[in-house]
Amino acid sequence: MRIRTVTMLGIALITVGACSGSAATTSPASASAAPASASAAPASASAAPASASAKNYKLTLIQGVKGDPFYVTMGCGAQAEATKEGATLNITGGDTWDATVQTPIVDSVTASKPDGVMIAPNDGKAMFAPLKAMNDAGVKVTLVDTGLDDLSFAQSFITSDNLGGGKLAATALAQLIGDKGTVAVISTNPGDSTVAARVKGFYDELTKNHPNITALPIQYDKDDPTVATTITTSTLAAHPDLIGIFATNVQTAEGVATGLRQATNTSVKTIAFDAGPKQITDLNSGLVQALIAQDPYTIGVDGVQQTILALNGQPTTKAIQTDLAIITKDNVNDPAMQKFLYKSACN
Amino acid sequence: MAEPLLQARGIVKHYGHVEALRGADFDVYPAEIVALIGDNGAGKSTLVKVLSGTEQPDGGEIILEGRAVQIDSPAVAQQFGIETVYQDLALAPDLDGAANLYFGREIMLPGVLGKLGFLDDRAMHASARKAFAELGVDVQNAHRMVANLSGGQRQSVAVARSVTWTDKVVFLDEPTAALGAVQTARVLDVIRRIRDRGGAAIFISHNMPQVLQVADRIEVLRLGRRVARMDAAGTTIEQLVAAMTGALDSREGAA
Amino acid sequence: MNGTIGEPALTSPADRPDAPVHAAESTGRSLWRQLMGSNTAWIFVVLLVLVAIFSAMKPGNFPTEFNIRAIATNASVLLIIAVGETFVIITAGIDLSVGYVLLFSGVAAAETMAAFGDPTNKGWDVILLGLLVALASGLAWGILNGFLIAKAKVPALIVTLGTLGMAWGLAEILSNGQDVRYIPRELATIGVGRFFAVPWLVILAAVVAIAGAILLNMTKFGRYTIGIGSNQEAARRAGINVERHLIKVYALSGLLAGLGGFLALAYFTTTTISGHANDNLNAIAAVVIGGTSLFGGVGTVIGTAIGVFIPAVLQSGFIIIGIQSFWQNVAVGAVLIGAVFVDQLRRRSRERR
Repeated sequence: MRIRTVTMLGIALITVGACSGSAATTSPASASAAPASASAAPASASAAPASASAKNYKLTLIQGVKGDPFYVTMGCGAQAEATKEGATLNITGGDTWDATVQTPIVDSVTASKPDGVMIAPNDGKAMFAPLKAMNDAGVKVTLVDTGLDDLSFAQSFITSDNLGGGKLAATALAQLIGDKGTVAVISTNPGDSTVAARVKGFYDELTKNHPNITALPIQYDKDDPTVATTITTSTLAAHPDLIGIFATNVQTAEGVATGLRQATNTSVKTIAFDAGPKQITDLNSGLVQALIAQDPYTIGVDGVQQTILALNGQPTTKAIQTDLAIITKDNVNDPAMQKFLYKSACN
Repeated sequence: MAEPLLQARGIVKHYGHVEALRGADFDVYPAEIVALIGDNGAGKSTLVKVLSGTEQPDGGEIILEGRAVQIDSPAVAQQFGIETVYQDLALAPDLDGAANLYFGREIMLPGVLGKLGFLDDRAMHASARKAFAELGVDVQNAHRMVANLSGGQRQSVAVARSVTWTDKVVFLDEPTAALGAVQTARVLDVIRRIRDRGGAAIFISHNMPQVLQVADRIEVLRLGRRVARMDAAGTTIEQLVAAMTGALDSREGAA
Repeated sequence: MNGTIGEPALTSPADRPDAPVHAAESTGRSLWRQLMGSNTAWIFVVLLVLVAIFSAMKPGNFPTEFNIRAIATNASVLLIIAVGETFVIITAGIDLSVGYVLLFSGVAAAETMAAFGDPTNKGWDVILLGLLVALASGLAWGILNGFLIAKAKVPALIVTLGTLGMAWGLAEILSNGQDVRYIPRELATIGVGRFFAVPWLVILAAVVAIAGAILLNMTKFGRYTIGIGSNQEAARRAGINVERHLIKVYALSGLLAGLGGFLALAYFTTTTISGHANDNLNAIAAVVIGGTSLFGGVGTVIGTAIGVFIPAVLQSGFIIIGIQSFWQNVAVGAVLIGAVFVDQLRRRSRERR
């Protein structure tokens, strides 16, 4: 009996005790740098920020999913802006893109009583209730990257011009394949408004301006790279004349690249949304021909800015669309393009 | 001699290519203790499994109190009044003594609750304590998980279970093999009690002195057949061994 | 001697003509003790310690009505499927299909309720129909699992892995890969509604847990479940129809997954097709943390409830005190290993006897 108590209590205490040493703020850079982040907060608080109120706001960024370079980069931007404005920023996110996983996280963040929250909701409908509850509890809620069906209480919704991005992808891909042939579209989840807009932009542009290109019906990989790989190899097997692929996000792009690596047919041109470190490598090695890069860093900056404006009682911009860029092997090293390249860790 | 209580005639049982029983016979009469002996692989355990419903014979017949019967399952055997204490005891370690005693035959609460499936734990515990007390088994075992009992205590619970549910026929497969002297004596007492109540106790054993000490009669199996039947009185260990190993083949075969 | 051929010799020891009649004595095991078991008491202490630590660190955030309600509500569906999983694991089996049976049942219910036109304003008759469809589909998957495991003798791990995939695929086919995003308003009201400050979801989960505990500890069904898990051969020799019972146990697990699917639909107001990947492992972890042994024969529903709340409390507490979310995974993994380790110690100590 005694062994039992000691073991179980020991495990519980050790895990909680070890982690409480790194309490207070966390940031993308501080995977293990507990003392660094603990000292960063007081430093910025005493830097007398230029914002209208010198109040040290407590902000939290809830990523769509943790570990994704897109959201990591967003966190870097958010952290930089928060530091500049004298606010403290917590970053958290679920293991998978799943509204049932994100809901308890949202509730716990609400319980932690932050002043403002930036979040990329996993589902435009399912996340409405918990986020409304968060708003009703007095927290200023800003949506980043993905939105809600009902935007009534959001301080701002900041995302890339995804529709335009889809159009851009179609144009770039058409150019790469000589404006004719069969192409495939691989996306993440049907309920995701962001990728849905990209897909719509893509199909619309092809229908309107590229009649000689046949686009296969869309396939979904649930934001899982391994599924994207399987879809890629099977589609190649079913359509040996496939000449182009459009991958709608980072995870999908990673899976498609793996699938293409396994295939002997190297004449397929791929254009992918998002420019994570792996995609840049694939771009340089010729596995992917073009990347439509978003600007998650700016989304993070804007998210914090809008939230702090709301907290200071100033008017916010309800909808912000950030820029996109086409990255190819030719311009990937241009200084102007650097801000569009996603990182897997800040600095 | 009175009418046999339980008889087996020409039982055949294969397990794949292995013939465990090749026309085995068996007889047991009321109010007696019979030892079923034989070398390893003679078919003793298989015969017990067939007569207790755990296995189905491929041939032969079983006669209970003069009528041919089919023992299709352990439940049917139990209905006929045949209980078995297996070598592995067949106890559920995570249930207590009372629960094991009543396993498969639980007492339900009266009325609607009982029909809904609610157990009458209180009645089962009280009854188990009584049964254990009568048989000299530690009454506390009714409340203790079998997993927490020693080997001897577990054996007592298993044996108590069998005699609690029948007065007719009890098979015991190596009941004292793992027991110390005191516990062995207690189990043998219970076996004698079965006989004293008019029932038949059949036990498998490799312990020849014990066999001669306890049993009234001995039935010997060899290579899946009965090869000898002897009264314990006047039999020596050498004769038992000789019967088991084949020196006495076809001397006193099937009746 | 009583009894002729074909009749039971004795129906109970009390039938014996020489059995004295005594008043029944108290068995000395209180209801609380019965329901708790000893493994469970200690894991309960761990939960209390965690709650105490988080409350002490953030007294204005953790032990608040909002947070407690949120933790309880978000744990409700998991608790319901974990109750079913408890019964399965006690028989030394496993059910990996629960997450996707839950999803399929929710999709089936949502499609049914939407089949008569826009479901938003539909009444309780449509909602009830949806519930029946969810329960029936869960039950059907459970019976399929049980049949393949008990009769066809395919290992539970393989069978439920297979039905996991089938349920998922069929859910996708049934919904055309698109979430059904509209449910009757009345149902959504139940999903987030409360009864005197306690959310309906929590009440329902509590009812299921209490019913499960009673079923496990006080009925023949529960006794056979434990007995079969403890020694399946002994159960067979005791005349119990083991195969039929196992089918019932998996059917129960499926039924509860179906109920969970319906309640998840009410709560999230959409079918969340892209989710539920880890529901099965979360349920199994909860069951094991709660003291149920993977090897069968030992387990309690109250333990499972505690097992559900420990990861939930850890997650909430970590977020509130600001710890990187990756540490949650580490902590839950450590607690899980600890629970199984303790179970192993217990088993080894009893084998030594």
